[in-house]
Amino acid sequence: MAQILADRRDIDFVLHEQLGVESLAKDERFADFNRKAIDLIVSEARNLAMKEILPTQVDGDRIGARFEAGKVTVPESYHKAWKALRDGEWMAMNEDPEVGGQGMPRVVANAASEYLMAAGVAFLMHSGLTHGAGKLIETFGNDKQKKLFLKKLYSGQWAGTMLLTEPDAGSDVGALTTTATPNGDGTYSIVGNKIFISGGEHDMTENIIHPVLARIEGAPAGTGGISLFLVPKIWVNDDGSLGEPNDIVCTGIEEKMGIHGNATCALSLGSKGKCRGTLLGEANKGMSAMFLMMNDARLMVGNQGMTLASAAYMYALNYARTRIQGRSLLKMRDKNAPAIPIIQHPDVRRMLLTMKVYVEALRSLSYYIAYCNDRVALAADPEEKDRFQGLIDFLIPITKGFGTERSFDVCSTAMQVYGGYGYIRDYPVEQLLRDVRISAIYEGTNGIQALDLLGRKLGQNGGKPIRDLFEEIHATLTAARGVDRTAPLAEKMEPLVLRLEEVARHMGVTAMYGDLLNAAAHAHPFMMACGEVVTGWMALWRAQIAAEALGKGAKDKDAAFYEGQIKSAEFFAQTLLPVAMGHLEAILSGSTTANDILEDSFGGK
Amino acid sequence: MEILVCIKRVPDSAENEIVVDDGGRDIRRDDLTYSVNEWDNYAVEEAIAIAEREGGNVTVVSVGSSEAEEVVRREMAMGAGQGLLLQDDAFDNSDGRGIASILKAAVTKGSYDLVLTGAQADDGAAQVGGMLAAMLDWPYASLVNKVEVSDGKTLRIGREIEGGAQEINEIQTPCVLSVQTGINEPRYVGIRGIRKVASVEIPVLDAAALGIQAGSVGPSGARVSRVDYFVPATGKGAELIEGTTKEIAAKLVHLLKAKGGLK
Repeated sequence: MAQILADRRDIDFVLHEQLGVESLAKDERFADFNRKAIDLIVSEARNLAMKEILPTQVDGDRIGARFEAGKVTVPESYHKAWKALRDGEWMAMNEDPEVGGQGMPRVVANAASEYLMAAGVAFLMHSGLTHGAGKLIETFGNDKQKKLFLKKLYSGQWAGTMLLTEPDAGSDVGALTTTATPNGDGTYSIVGNKIFISGGEHDMTENIIHPVLARIEGAPAGTGGISLFLVPKIWVNDDGSLGEPNDIVCTGIEEKMGIHGNATCALSLGSKGKCRGTLLGEANKGMSAMFLMMNDARLMVGNQGMTLASAAYMYALNYARTRIQGRSLLKMRDKNAPAIPIIQHPDVRRMLLTMKVYVEALRSLSYYIAYCNDRVALAADPEEKDRFQGLIDFLIPITKGFGTERSFDVCSTAMQVYGGYGYIRDYPVEQLLRDVRISAIYEGTNGIQALDLLGRKLGQNGGKPIRDLFEEIHATLTAARGVDRTAPLAEKMEPLVLRLEEVARHMGVTAMYGDLLNAAAHAHPFMMACGEVVTGWMALWRAQIAAEALGKGAKDKDAAFYEGQIKSAEFFAQTLLPVAMGHLEAILSGSTTANDILEDSFGGK
Repeated sequence: MEILVCIKRVPDSAENEIVVDDGGRDIRRDDLTYSVNEWDNYAVEEAIAIAEREGGNVTVVSVGSSEAEEVVRREMAMGAGQGLLLQDDAFDNSDGRGIASILKAAVTKGSYDLVLTGAQADDGAAQVGGMLAAMLDWPYASLVNKVEVSDGKTLRIGREIEGGAQEINEIQTPCVLSVQTGINEPRYVGIRGIRKVASVEIPVLDAAALGIQAGSVGPSGARVSRVDYFVPATGKGAELIEGTTKEIAAKLVHLLKAKGGLK
């Protein structure tokens, strides 16, 4: 079979037909990135992904990261792939060239990353976290920290991580106990234990830079007393040369369900009292600084889900087209009727179409958020900047929370399409299903995402972000009403959107003035309902563009693609929308049962 | 050293299922993803490496439609300094000799010491390099897997011989070499390279600019024309091995040993 990691036609559709990203090149900042450059970038990301990163996928899973005597080794293919990423300068694609980036629009970097990530998500986490650590230093670092660390991270000469979680401080980061004591020379002594540190130790780079959350002695309890420190694995001297190893010991790595190729480390800092770090940003402002990285990390995790779901869909689709099994239902009694490809069986088509709708919508959502980031970067008008930033803020928990749940569903459905073969290791979807599962958990569980949406984002700036989002959705409804083939779909979509508006008000009022616990019990269904409406929005937006393109006359290959877009929107409107509407009704019912039930009544006693 | 590398835009076999078209003389090309011919990519890498080592310039040239510009630009992003597109409706459907004569015209308009081609392309004819050398009356070596510059005029080149043997030859420049895969490890195209060439205008030369009579190339100038194209029916003697991957591997090893392929 042809090896397809992602659907290039669909990527091009989102980039050029849905978002028109070429227009970003009109601004001097993105002038290098015309259509030819964008096409080349996506093609070369695919080329690199296929040849260098794809081998890391199976190696990472079967060989995995290995721990021995405090050292972690990664498979040989990782070293080659890392070098290729570095040589091509793929680590900090969207950052300013002045500080070692490539100045690319974020939405184009998103497309390139989709291929790279689909080829080896466990491997690519290393570069994502390295980029994120660099971004923290670029934003909050002093001149010396930038000089010593920034280009080395953005170039991938060194790797980066983030150290938040502790054994008793997971979702409740404010409970952390790692301490920082001033040494009097501008450095701090760091003491504590961190767990679940992705890529916390490995042999791909000569140094690893850890941004660490810790509490300076005497600082207030809770998140308001947390500071951020830069703690290198090997101390970096003032002239940039490497000094003595810092007092950081990897005490073990976790045996996980998936992403075996990324070591999940337990790190002991300062067990000999000699772990040094420097303050990054202001004291006691560590949490808000870390949120910069966390927000990007949450987007990255949403993208991980989307890319793995997309790859799983591609595999399942190819399998369904080539796997011959069973006769047509209409010829069941004819023993001589030929067996047919399973894509012709109605239930398989139902599964494939469900996967198609979500994969396409999640891709559009992912690229749309990246595009909003570019609009923020280019906006001269503060109001426009705020509007796009608000949209990003509101959509982050949706792409992370809703997106990763649906991505898992898609990977699971892909396995179902394969039948028994899907459950065995010889076929790729078994690994994809295991690898994608973590995306619903890390960088803030999806329960935390739901609380973020309800508690922070819904009321942010007086509720402006969600109002702006509804405005965008209504603009799509209006455009779709103006096209014959999508007008009836817009009519079906509108009541769902209006109902969500009502539910959003209900949730806001319940959280603020009614019953906070009851609102919290409905936070996850609310996040999922928002995600369903966004899915419908994206499907309709795509269908409207496709219907217009068909109206202008499209070539055979394009015509099938565009018809597929309209079918996705139809399937959503006719099949998935009523279910979403049901979920909205359930939220409005205000059921208090989840909070009312006695703990003993859960059973098991 | 001035080096010209001839490249071709071909369907990417890693991304495409190849299907014969309704006319039966070609494959369906509408739905295909294209990239640079793999052998040509090795040739470009070799040229860039020679230029980096010995000094000089690398130009990549392609005969094709306007879409071929994308592979010319791609190889420039890889490190070739100049690109050239030879494009004219009259060039469409040329045979190997026609392509070689178009390339010859481009070579004679420049001042090249070395011309590299891939050993073959998607159609597997492996004829353009040799024909081009003959038309130029330049020395030619095929299936080259090593190039060393001895002095300004002499190259020591390695050639792959049937059965895994190797020979070393000396050849005088200007010359034409057709390059085998495996001669090097082609570098990847990085973002910096793409940014550098994104807005570069690539010169396009048509038949008139190259001094080529339109009738001497294309279908009217072709002395070889394809009359059929098909996937052969499965013959006898083929054995399909079935089972799990482990079982298939075990049976394959057994068969290879039994037939003398493995000792």
